[in-house]
Amino acid sequence: MEETKERKIVVAVDESEESMEALSWSLDNLFPYGSNNTLILLYVKPPLPVYSSIDAAGFIVTGDPVAALMKYEHELVESVMARSRTVYQDFESEINIERRVGRGDAKEVICNAVQKLKADMLVMGTHDYGFFKRALLGSVSEYCAKRVRCPVIIVKKQPQDN
Amino acid sequence: SLLTSFTYSKKKRLLKTKQRSMAEDQGAATAMETTAVEKQPEAEAAPSVPKTKRMMVAIDESDSSFYALQWVIDHFSNLLMTTEAAEGDGGMLTVVHVQSPFHHFAAFPAGPGGATVYASSTMIESVKKAQQETSAALLSRALQMCRAKQIRTETLVLEGEAKEMICEAVEQMHVDLLVVGSRGLGKIKRAFIGSVSDYCAHHANCPILIVKPPKELMTK
Repeated sequence: MEETKERKIVVAVDESEESMEALSWSLDNLFPYGSNNTLILLYVKPPLPVYSSIDAAGFIVTGDPVAALMKYEHELVESVMARSRTVYQDFESEINIERRVGRGDAKEVICNAVQKLKADMLVMGTHDYGFFKRALLGSVSEYCAKRVRCPVIIVKKQPQDN
Repeated sequence: SLLTSFTYSKKKRLLKTKQRSMAEDQGAATAMETTAVEKQPEAEAAPSVPKTKRMMVAIDESDSSFYALQWVIDHFSNLLMTTEAAEGDGGMLTVVHVQSPFHHFAAFPAGPGGATVYASSTMIESVKKAQQETSAALLSRALQMCRAKQIRTETLVLEGEAKEMICEAVEQMHVDLLVVGSRGLGKIKRAFIGSVSDYCAHHANCPILIVKPPKELMTK
């Protein structure tokens, strides 16, 4: 009856527990049996500090700090991807899963990626900052929910109900 | 020199954060593994319809909320259909409309002296009746849309401050997904989603789905 359109669902992950929960929630609910949806896992690396190139005044940056930073970044990406793997490995056979890594300001990168990929839906967790921290720091999920053109699902930590 | 000391302290800070986040990652990784193990039996048992999903859609007079309702009907109909699902299984769609409270003590400024006129009882009644009629019209329109796709629906009318009532209803009814539209207030739309959806996104206890209307509806 309804057309089984292939849908692109972007799930934004980061190092937090909430985004893993968002991932598992979307796997449970957005991929009913027999649907043809694609899950795109998007992880945004924080921007690489460029101080090493601005250095002048006779202080030559050796390769080591930069290499250590790249290694740390690489490990971070790997750990986030490994954690998401434990979440989605049950579903791997049934749905297409793509993994993408971006770099830069998380909210901008997510919005741009959603636009570029022409995603049909965006799923994010939220950092659960509370009132003051949110006012001061700004929230990625809020920014994206406002700017993005497609429907957005914000998944929160479920309260423990017995 | 100043420049070198600045860069050196930055490096130290970065290394410290690296150690901290590595420790956090390890702790979190073990936590994730245990939850993943718990999830597995569930995933194997139910590849199709999961346990009863209760979805709530908030509507008002705006078109974007009906667009959100239609979107939910289109995309989640397989979870909510009544025909194939057994009686206990399947989901329930709750359509909720919140009436703004009529303050019958509100001042109706009359006269230059600012004398307030308290609404007479007949006025209160007629306003209440008008409100009921509008909500009934909205809900019947919503029900029609749902019945067309044979979705198990119930309607709910609440009175009070829209955002608070919605969040309360989510808590009391153990809703699994809250769906709201978003009005998009013209040029200011870049600054606000709309206060109700924004408030609910922060305060509701369940995942929230914000459906934006396409460009054509935005001009309203």
